[in-house]
Amino acid sequence: MSNLITIFITMALLNNFILVKFLGLCPFFGVSKKLSNAVSMGAAVTFVMVIASIATWIITQYILIPFNVVYMSTVIFILVIASLVQIIEMFIMRTNYALYSAFGIYLALITTNCAVLGITLWNITEEYNLLQSIFAALGGGVGFTLVLAIMSGIRERLELSDSPKSMKGLPIAFLVAMLLGLAFSGFGGII
Amino acid sequence: MTGFIKEFAKGIIISNPVFILALGLCPTLAMSDKLENALGMSAAVLFVLLCSNIVVSSIRKYVPAIMRIPVFIVVIATFVTIVNLVFQAYLPSLYESLGIYLPLVVVNCIILGRAEAFASKNPVTASIADALGIGIGFALAITIIALIREILGTGSLTLGDNTLFTLPVLGEHPITILSLSAGAFLVIGLLLAFFRRIGVAKNE
Amino acid sequence: MPEFLRKLSPLAFLTLVVLVAVTLLVVTESFTGPVVEKRLQQQIIDQMEGMFPNVSDWEFEDDLYTLYTNSEKIGYAFLATGAGYHGEISILVGLEDAETVKGVVILSQTETPGVGSRITEPDFLNQFIGVSIDDIALSQDGGLIDGLTGATISSRAVVDAVKQTAMDKVAQIEGTE
Repeated sequence: MSNLITIFITMALLNNFILVKFLGLCPFFGVSKKLSNAVSMGAAVTFVMVIASIATWIITQYILIPFNVVYMSTVIFILVIASLVQIIEMFIMRTNYALYSAFGIYLALITTNCAVLGITLWNITEEYNLLQSIFAALGGGVGFTLVLAIMSGIRERLELSDSPKSMKGLPIAFLVAMLLGLAFSGFGGII
Repeated sequence: MTGFIKEFAKGIIISNPVFILALGLCPTLAMSDKLENALGMSAAVLFVLLCSNIVVSSIRKYVPAIMRIPVFIVVIATFVTIVNLVFQAYLPSLYESLGIYLPLVVVNCIILGRAEAFASKNPVTASIADALGIGIGFALAITIIALIREILGTGSLTLGDNTLFTLPVLGEHPITILSLSAGAFLVIGLLLAFFRRIGVAKNE
Repeated sequence: MPEFLRKLSPLAFLTLVVLVAVTLLVVTESFTGPVVEKRLQQQIIDQMEGMFPNVSDWEFEDDLYTLYTNSEKIGYAFLATGAGYHGEISILVGLEDAETVKGVVILSQTETPGVGSRITEPDFLNQFIGVSIDDIALSQDGGLIDGLTGATISSRAVVDAVKQTAMDKVAQIEGTE
């Protein structure tokens, strides 16, 4: 059990998807200033990460490994992820249209979010079992959401501050990411 | 011919994928820590970009509209896997270094972006020029960042098992933060600001 | 040909693309796979020759190498895999006879650098030399191998893998004698 908690914390903080592994950067730099939107985005990505991890784990164990075609994982996984996102998108459209319109194109873009494909590939590299994969995906997603939330709050302040013209927007966001990354590396002491 | 050159040149500076369009950041930041990784990643991205642009452009008139994105993704994923297999067989240490970032090229916004925005709407020759331009633009960007991070961050420059040179002062007291993950953000942020300052990129 | 493509339903088109893709990949893998295999084999042979300098030839059957110096049996070797902290640890184990370990070499691992990765260091691996299979266990578990401080999981993975596989192989050896 402690092993699962360790995996969760490591994936959320020490191996943070955005700040350390550089996965999921597109939504990070484009995150809205509204905290609730950032958190919804993070929650959606986390959800997809967990479901995708389960689906790809099953496929790896029962199809890829027995048939010795693990090298097909990239193609198969991305197809699985694309289908999953499609299904989830349709489901949200039917049940909660307001949420669906709020997400707009970002929902479909989760397919190309490096964090999702990233966690499914990571699970294979680390040879996690099903439970470990789920915890890793949860940890990764929570860490991702956390950083997204922090960034959305900072974004607001950045807009109001007086940055040099060349720094406005993306450059200063990168520097903020650097500071966040340094701060997060302090978590190394937890494990 | 001038059309070809124009498309090609566009990708390198005006529409530089990393510095101007801010696309494909994931592999850029992750593999910009060493020159070797930057070159390896550049080769992979260029190959996949070229092949996928050619294929997408060739079949663009036959792909049913709703299936465009899935089909493009499968095409890109196939070429990425081919690169993966080839590196694993013939360039094993590079394969180890690139790790999961090699397969992640499949969701690299640059490649899917070009397939969707350009190759699916333009003839093959133009798509080739576009791929070459964008691919080289990417290579330039990631290599510049890697050179800065490796030389200033470790004090020396290595290629494979050979150390090309070691700087006198920095060799012993390198600016280590540049080799860390956080350093990647720092370098790209400052470079981006610099490019805007000197007028190559537009301010927001 | 183009007409045929145009008439396909979207799903059929995607399926066709996937089939072409899969075929292309299988063909590529048939070329690259053997290259990777051969390299792995070469690595095993190099390590085996390092462990048994006088070896002149060997037999390989049922995942067990029997080594000879000019028709005289000098030992055995086999692969073991351990579940480390960070994935699989690939190990080559050499036996002098059905009881004593000749040596242990780590072929590949992805443990934490500086911590678990120290299982590749001679200080750790040399402990296995000349040890009887029964005594292979971490000292905290009553055996003769001192684990690496701060890398118990990695150390134990190696120890368990070596012991378990060795016992299996000994049964295999004695079964054929």
